[in-house]
Amino acid sequence: MSAIIEIRDYTWQYLNTEKPALEAINVDIYEGEFVGIIGPNGAGKTTLALSMDGLIPGQYHGVKQGTVKVMGKEVDDYPRGQLQRQVGVVFSDPEAQFTAMTVEDELVFGLENQGLSITEIHERLEWVTELTALKPLLPKPPYEISGGQKQRVALAAVLAMMPKVMVLDEPTSMLDPISRKRIFEVLGRLKREQHNTVIVIEHSLENLIPLADCMILLSEGKVALQAATREFFQRIAFLLEKGVYPPEAMQFFYHLMQNGWYNGDLPLTLDEAAAKLETILMPHHSTR
Amino acid sequence: MNKTMLGYVPKESPIYAVHPFVKLYFLLIVSLFPMFVAAPEWNFLLLVFILALMVISRVDIRIVRIYIPVAISMGSIILISYTILGGRHPEFQVIFNLFGLPIYWERVRDAMVVYFRILPMIATMVFFLSTSRERDIIVAMRTIRLPFVVTYVFAMALRSAGMVLEDFQIVRQAEQARGFDPTGKPLTYKIRKYIMYMIPLFALSLRRSEEFTNALVARGYAFTGEASHVKRADYVLTHYTFKTHDAIFTTLITLAFIALLIARYGLHYFSLDHSWFIQWLHAVLS
Amino acid sequence: MSTTTTPARKELTAEQIWTVQPGERRSVGVIHIVITALLIGIGFVVGSFGSISFPLGFGVNFFWTGIAVQQVGSIWFGLWGVIAGTIFPFFSNAIAGTPFYISAAYIPANFVQAFLPAWAFRYFKADPRLRSGRDYFILLIAMIVSSAFGALWSPLVVLRGFGLLTTESVPLFVWGWFGGNVVAGIVFNFILLKALSGVVIRTPAFVKRWWA
Repeated sequence: MSAIIEIRDYTWQYLNTEKPALEAINVDIYEGEFVGIIGPNGAGKTTLALSMDGLIPGQYHGVKQGTVKVMGKEVDDYPRGQLQRQVGVVFSDPEAQFTAMTVEDELVFGLENQGLSITEIHERLEWVTELTALKPLLPKPPYEISGGQKQRVALAAVLAMMPKVMVLDEPTSMLDPISRKRIFEVLGRLKREQHNTVIVIEHSLENLIPLADCMILLSEGKVALQAATREFFQRIAFLLEKGVYPPEAMQFFYHLMQNGWYNGDLPLTLDEAAAKLETILMPHHSTR
Repeated sequence: MNKTMLGYVPKESPIYAVHPFVKLYFLLIVSLFPMFVAAPEWNFLLLVFILALMVISRVDIRIVRIYIPVAISMGSIILISYTILGGRHPEFQVIFNLFGLPIYWERVRDAMVVYFRILPMIATMVFFLSTSRERDIIVAMRTIRLPFVVTYVFAMALRSAGMVLEDFQIVRQAEQARGFDPTGKPLTYKIRKYIMYMIPLFALSLRRSEEFTNALVARGYAFTGEASHVKRADYVLTHYTFKTHDAIFTTLITLAFIALLIARYGLHYFSLDHSWFIQWLHAVLS
Repeated sequence: MSTTTTPARKELTAEQIWTVQPGERRSVGVIHIVITALLIGIGFVVGSFGSISFPLGFGVNFFWTGIAVQQVGSIWFGLWGVIAGTIFPFFSNAIAGTPFYISAAYIPANFVQAFLPAWAFRYFKADPRLRSGRDYFILLIAMIVSSAFGALWSPLVVLRGFGLLTTESVPLFVWGWFGGNVVAGIVFNFILLKALSGVVIRTPAFVKRWWA
C-alpha cells in the first residue's frame, strides 16, 4: 500500500535563519491512519504541518531540499489552491482562522472555493453541523462564541471540505479541558465513522493516545522516534530525555518498573492502567 | 437583537424583511435627492421621512443623538464659511453687521440651502448603517455582482477594524494597569503616546496577515490560477430572496427619483423662488 | 511566493530592496488581498481617530492620523497599499457622518496621496528604512506634493462643487487639509518606516514592484 503522504530526506530552512527548521525528515503516512506528532516547542512540528499542506514553500520564503509528496505528487506541482482542497489544516488559534461574518459563512467558505453547488453545500453543512454539534451557532458571528466553540467551528470548516487528509496543529492548545475533550470526541467520531487520515500535533497526550495508530517524535527538527503507538511509548526513558512527558498513569508504571515492581507493557490509558493495577493487586479477584 | 454597523436593532424589526439590495439602492438614490432640491422645507421633510423610517425600523434613536454634534458642527462651518468667511459682495443685501463684517442675506440663504441639503444626506447614511448588518452589506454587494474578492476584502476589513480596536484597548488597559494616566498631560505627550500605539498595532496586523493568509489558503481560496476561476455558489444569497415588496420598494424609489427630476427641471418645483421657508426667513431677517 | 538560494541574513541596499533579484520569483498571492483588507481595517480605525479628534468639517481634519496608513502602507505594499489608502477614508468618513457622494468624491485625492510616495520610493530607489538624508528628503517631498494635490482637490473640487464652501472660505480648508496631512505625516510616517521597514521588507507581503 503506498503512502498518502510521503516525505523523503526533507529539509526546510526559513530565510534568514541560522539552521534548518526540519532536517532530513523521512515519514510515510498511510490512508486512514491517525497519526500523532509530538515534540518540545521549536521542534519543527508546525513547519512539518505546513509542509504537508503546501503552505510551505507556497507562502514562505526559504530553502527546500528533498521531497514532500501528497497522493503521489510533489506539493510544489499542485496548481494553486488544489492541494489545500485535499489536505485540510486546522491551526491552533481559531481566532486567526475566521474571516467570515457568521459561523455558517465560515463553514461554507471552503465549500464555495471548491465550486460545490448549493445543494451539495447544504448537504455538507447538515452533515458537519450534526457531527460537530454546531447547528445552534450557525447564525452567530464567530468572534462572539467561546474558545471551544471557535475551535469546533475551525475544525468543522475544514471537515466540511472532506479533505483526504486532515492536519490539526495543536487544535486544543488554547482550550479548557472540557472543550479539549469535545474536540477529541469529534476526532474520535471521524476515526470511527469516516476513516479519514488524520494527523494531530498535540501536547495533550491523554486525549491523543487512545486515538493514534502511530506516533512521531520530532526533536530539533529531526524525527527522533516513529512507531506504532504502543511500541512508541514503551521507549518512555527516551521520551522523557527528549522532554516529552507521557500521561501520568504511564509514568507511574514506569516508576514501578524502575523499582522492579512491575515488568510488562506500559499502559497507554488510564483505563488500561487501572486494569493492570487490578490484575497486580487482586489477581484472584480481577474482573477483567 | 441583531448587531448592525452602528448599533443594535431588534430581531422583530420590519427592516429585516427588506432585501439588503433595496437598502443599498435607497442609500445610493435617496442620497441624490437633496442635490436636486433647493427649497429647504422639502429637504427638511425628507429628513423627517428618513427619521420616521428609522423609528419604524426600531432603530435606537440614541444613535441619531451621536450625530447631532456632527450636524451642529457642519452647520456652523457652513454658516461661517458663507458669512464671516464669505468675502465682501456689494451687490448683495446686508441684513446686519457683525463686528464690522457685513452679513449678507444671499449668503445666509445659500448657507440654509446647503445645510438642509446635507442633513438628509447624513440621515440617509446613518439610516443605512444603523439598519444594515455586516452580512447585509456583503449580500447587497454580491447581489449587484461585485466580484467576490471585493466583497471578501470588505468583510475582512470590517473584521480587521474590530481586531485593531480590541488590540488598542488591550494595549491601553495594560498601560493603565501599570499606572499610566494621560489626564492633564500635554498634547505633544499624547501624540507621542499615540505613535507608540501605532507601531505595535501595525506589527500585530502584519503578523495577522500571515495567519489569515494561511487560513484562506488552507480553505482552498486562491486569488490567481485555475482555482480562482471556480464558479462560487454564493450560498449566503440563499437566505435572502428578492420578494414582491422588494421589487415594489425599488420601483417606488426609482419612480420618486424620476418624478423629482421632472418636477425640478420640467416644472421648476423645489426652487428657491417657490420656497415659503426662504420667503419667511427673508421677511424675518430683513 | 519565492524561494531563494541564500538563507543567510544579508544587509540589503536600497537598490536591492526594490529590484527583483536573478532567480527570484515574485507573484501576486492571497497575502496581498489580506494585507489590503488589514490596511483598510487599520486605516479605518486610525483615520477615524483623526476625524473625531481634530475635525474641521466634512472629513477635513487638522491632524489626520490616517495619512500614515495611506502613505506608509503604499510604500511597503505598492498598489495594494494604494487601493487600501484610497478606500479606507471612504469608510471612516461615512461613519463620521460625511454623506455618501461627498466621501466618494474624495477618492481621487486619497488615491494621489497614497500613490505618490509609493511611486517616489520606487522611482528614486529610496530606502524605506530611511538610512540617509536623501531618503528622508524624498519622503518629505512626496508627502508635501501629494497632500497639496489632496488639499486642492478636496476643498476646491469636492466641497466647493457640492456648494458646502464659498470660494472665499476654500483657502482655510485647503490649508487645513494640507497642514493636517503633512504635520501628521511628519509625526508618524518617519517613525513607522524607521521602526518597521526592516521587518516588512523581509516578509512575503512586501511589494517590490507594484503588485508583487
